[in-house]
Amino acid sequence: MKNRQMQGYVGAIISVVLLAVLPLKMGSHSVLSLMHLDVSILSEMLLFGIAAMSVNLLLGYTGLMSFGNAAYFGLGAYGAGLSIHYLNVNFIEGALIGTAIAFIGGLLVGPFLLRRRGIYFALLTLAFGQVFYFIAYRANEFTGGEDGMSFSRPYFGFPGWHTDLHETTFYYLMLLVFAAVLLGFWLIVRSPFGRTLQAIRQNELRVRYLGLDSNKFIFVALLVSAGMAGLAGALYGLLIMFAAPLMLDWQQSGDFVMIMILGGAGTIWGPIVGSLIYVIGKDIVSTLTQTWQIYIGALFVICVLAFPRGLLGTLLYAIARRDVGAPVSEEEVAHKTWEHGGSAGTPTGAAVAAAEQKES
Amino acid sequence: MLSNVVPSVFNGLVLGAFYAFVAIGLSLIMNLTGTINLAHGSFLTLAGYLAFTLVSKGTSFWFALLLAPLLTVVVGVVVERLLIVPLYKRDPIFSLLLTFGLSLIAEEVYRLIWGPNGVPFSAPGVLGGGISLGFMQFPTLRLFIAGVLAAAMVALALFLWRTRFGLRLRAAIQDTEMISAMGTNTQLLYMVNFALGMALAGLAGVLASGLLGLSPTMGNALLMPAFVVAIIGGMGSLFGSIVGGLLVGLAISVTTLFVPAANEIIMYILMAVVLLIRPRGLFGTEGLFG
Repeated sequence: MKNRQMQGYVGAIISVVLLAVLPLKMGSHSVLSLMHLDVSILSEMLLFGIAAMSVNLLLGYTGLMSFGNAAYFGLGAYGAGLSIHYLNVNFIEGALIGTAIAFIGGLLVGPFLLRRRGIYFALLTLAFGQVFYFIAYRANEFTGGEDGMSFSRPYFGFPGWHTDLHETTFYYLMLLVFAAVLLGFWLIVRSPFGRTLQAIRQNELRVRYLGLDSNKFIFVALLVSAGMAGLAGALYGLLIMFAAPLMLDWQQSGDFVMIMILGGAGTIWGPIVGSLIYVIGKDIVSTLTQTWQIYIGALFVICVLAFPRGLLGTLLYAIARRDVGAPVSEEEVAHKTWEHGGSAGTPTGAAVAAAEQKES
Repeated sequence: MLSNVVPSVFNGLVLGAFYAFVAIGLSLIMNLTGTINLAHGSFLTLAGYLAFTLVSKGTSFWFALLLAPLLTVVVGVVVERLLIVPLYKRDPIFSLLLTFGLSLIAEEVYRLIWGPNGVPFSAPGVLGGGISLGFMQFPTLRLFIAGVLAAAMVALALFLWRTRFGLRLRAAIQDTEMISAMGTNTQLLYMVNFALGMALAGLAGVLASGLLGLSPTMGNALLMPAFVVAIIGGMGSLFGSIVGGLLVGLAISVTTLFVPAANEIIMYILMAVVLLIRPRGLFGTEGLFG
């Protein structure tokens, strides 16, 4: 449907323009200052959005319950922090080294994760994520241990030109990175590779019958996801100029998964919508009360019970429902009703999956 | 040398018994309903705090040891019926996230009620001191804990393999739809199964608080090793969880003795090795949850 596609492009352009004008001042106030928000909150929102997108690639598109992406996020932050602290690298090098470290982390852990699917995969990601947590925690003469490590933010630039990043320019740089990642993500998801990942979510066995080695596809998806989370982590480290073991913790992983679900799993824009709700909600609630963790927890519970498709997912689903009668491709329906892909959660589904496993 | 190693092996086995206990509770719930209960640790902590409150109100330790797990079961079943039941038919990620949210709430609530730091909670005098075995002293408390945990595991095994209800539970784990078609009330099975998991968590919570120190994060500290134990032992195997738990406990205590820096990593290394050699876990069944 060309019409729908046009709406998508217009929506994307409007969102980016909105994000770009948010920090601008109108008179002496910007929209942000009226909401008592800092520009760095917006940067945080974009970076958490990228991290949630990395979960989305695995969970929303490939159907793999990843509960350990904070490990890559934290590796990115430590990669940037350690290289800046010990090797005196510049901004771009720090960000790239952080991403590379996270990528290597994925390369190390991936072969183990590939051995299992379903909730077992979730347990493995949880457990392997903790390995990096304990390494950061234990290597305290190198990483600062439990207290974490702070480092300074180097100049941003290339040989011959550089500039000092303050909060607003940092935000615009993040917006640029975010737009690039979003575009990349969109291209990946629409590529034959991305289609195969979605096919794996719907029925991995059939994909194998078609002669495709699903393990290879999943491994690449894991690596892409680790790289994305690592990039987000490295930039987040550069934003707050700090890296701590808690960034690698499974509770942080849970936050990323939740951000993705809040917005809508298996949708391109879902993670950033979720990140908007989560980061700004957390910022507002944590200034009002000490016990913000209760409210975040309650948000999770309510979202899971009442809006399992997430905000954007619910909206898209409603649109798809309204369009019934109009020609909707199979693919679009599958895309918009994310949960249909994974019936392994139901007792019957699990039994069928087990039976199919035996046959293979 | 021996006087160093023997107590450390013994302590490791007691610690491992805790891990096994928590892992069995997790596995029970996971096998039947596909729910990864991230709030398991929170229920464990709840039992500890309930026992602490009961004892400080003048109840005897023994009564608290009985009552606190029972209260935890009641709270757990209410939570299961109200919040988790609607998710059984949905993708497992949702129950995982729900229990994750619950654990966030619980941790903060415990902090509000009982304070952010640990509270002193010790077993009665009878359990203090040690029992001499000639060449070394065994602390009575740890022996007592080991005894209670072993007895509870035997009781659970008898329930699962020697009662009609246990038979139905095991059948439901294999094929819920079939057992439902044959006229068994599966909702009752789900509830009792969850209650069993809670009872195990509750008992472990009360006993652990005397040993590990009662604080809002006590349960969550036991949760991750329990997951690792379930992976090593093999999901769905009671025996596997016990062996896995003892193995992990032993590995941790021995590593603490010789390479203290690696004592938290060792169980993950163990897990990685098991995954390479036998992905289903030591005693796991092929095909269960992929």
